[in-house]
Amino acid sequence: MSKFSTLRRGIYAVWLREIMRSFRDRGQLIGGVSRPIIWLLILGIGLNPYFRGEIYGEVRFVIPFTYLQFLFPAVIVLNIMYTSILFAVSMIWDREFGFLREVLVSPMPRWAVLFGKILGGSTVATMHGLLVLILARFADVTLGWDQVALALVLMFLLSFGLTSFGVILASRVRSFEGFGVFSNTIILPLYFCSSSVFPLDPSLTRTQAAATYPEWLTLLVQINPITYAVDAMRGALISYSQFDPLLGPGIIAAGAVLFFAIALVDFQRQ
Amino acid sequence: MTTQGAIGRGSWRRWRTVGLNLAGAALLLCGLTFLPPDNSLAEVRKSGVLRVCVPESMPPLVTDDPARPGYDLELLDLIAKELGVRLAVNRNSAIGADFNPRNWRLTRAQCQIIAGGVADNEPARSFLELLPTGLHTGWAAIGPDDMLSQGGGTAAVFPGPIGLDRLALSRYLRSKKFRILTIPAASQLMPALADGTADIVISDRQTLAALNSANAPIHWLSEKELGVLDLAFGLWKGDATLLRAMRDSHQKLISSGLADSLSTRYGTAVDATTGP
Repeated sequence: MSKFSTLRRGIYAVWLREIMRSFRDRGQLIGGVSRPIIWLLILGIGLNPYFRGEIYGEVRFVIPFTYLQFLFPAVIVLNIMYTSILFAVSMIWDREFGFLREVLVSPMPRWAVLFGKILGGSTVATMHGLLVLILARFADVTLGWDQVALALVLMFLLSFGLTSFGVILASRVRSFEGFGVFSNTIILPLYFCSSSVFPLDPSLTRTQAAATYPEWLTLLVQINPITYAVDAMRGALISYSQFDPLLGPGIIAAGAVLFFAIALVDFQRQ
Repeated sequence: MTTQGAIGRGSWRRWRTVGLNLAGAALLLCGLTFLPPDNSLAEVRKSGVLRVCVPESMPPLVTDDPARPGYDLELLDLIAKELGVRLAVNRNSAIGADFNPRNWRLTRAQCQIIAGGVADNEPARSFLELLPTGLHTGWAAIGPDDMLSQGGGTAAVFPGPIGLDRLALSRYLRSKKFRILTIPAASQLMPALADGTADIVISDRQTLAALNSANAPIHWLSEKELGVLDLAFGLWKGDATLLRAMRDSHQKLISSGLADSLSTRYGTAVDATTGP
């Protein structure tokens, strides 16, 4: 058997283990389903009346979409964020229970082990993102196959980057409890400061520019990489971009490479 | 039993669990997509009336002739019948009277739909959900061919209530060295051409077609610079269930050929050939 074939089989085995573990665990799937239900069905419908039109020429939310359509791509990003970053719990689990040690003494190079694990986590997170796409009809988002294909590529790249980011966090946190708290203090602020549930960017439209936001908040939105991930997803799914349409995909791709490289350095040290 | 067979069955069982879990999640979400995201359609069905706000007159979309009430009104009447409700028309003289639609004071309480000349463009989409009616419009002109291509004369312009880009028209006419004469009513356009007040008359394509009793050739103004737009019915933002129901009903009317026959009867089918 050639070296490449051995490597491929090794990566496949690690990937398969992650896939099986995640999708056979109903708790994780319930999380993947409940998030879109809470954020899109409940929050989206709950806030919809505040953004709907009452007088022609006068609405608070002046973008050429409904609130549900605006929220829909952001909920995909949220589902991917949770699944990807929380995937790193499996790293802590493997480390605590000795599985990681067993894998690391195998002839497989460490980068291949890490790549298999991150690939598995990315696949699971992408599937969770795809689950949200089922709700497109509910949000009144009409999708063509080309849009779905583009969104799928973006979802996978984002999942890869965020799973790598989760691994970086996991290598710095030693307990399950610590990681749970840590991840929540990262995921939700990143999500809320990403122009996801309400547009924070004052340059969005003239009407919205009239509403003043504090500069520090606008700055937080602009320096938050998730802002550009949400923007890229909106560009793919509802053809609406607040920023340069190439900026989002570029940042997602760069993030995937950068975080994997850092995760690899951390993993080699273990 | 061979070892490979046992492994194969074990692997299949593992994938079966994965598949069943994913299918269960997908089915649950599929089921949820049938929940109504709002109660706009339910309210229309409960009251039995679909209310529409239209300008006093906007031929051929809205007229004051009961025998030929206008393309938009007849199409909406057919849609209302498909929905099993009655159409109530609210004629509002404020529509089109001011550049800013905010000053028309159209509210959700007055009507569920705005019709009679809503162009499908970005500003309209910012305020309304749009359902294209199948008609097109854009800036068009009636006048001598050489005048349109060379420019330099007087252009009588009736902007109308349709939200076409007036600034772009103004830039275009100035670039062609036209002197602009704004006309307050559509009915004054053709007399201005006849008595020599204007060398050409300009308005949206559908308005010119309705006024053009002499069947003079109508030319699109530069499609590249000024665009050709769909006309639409405007629904309030957030009324997704009503929009879906109207879209389905409209699709049925298109499939049955009723929408086409209506368009032929009103002469609203226009070619999108570029003018000079």
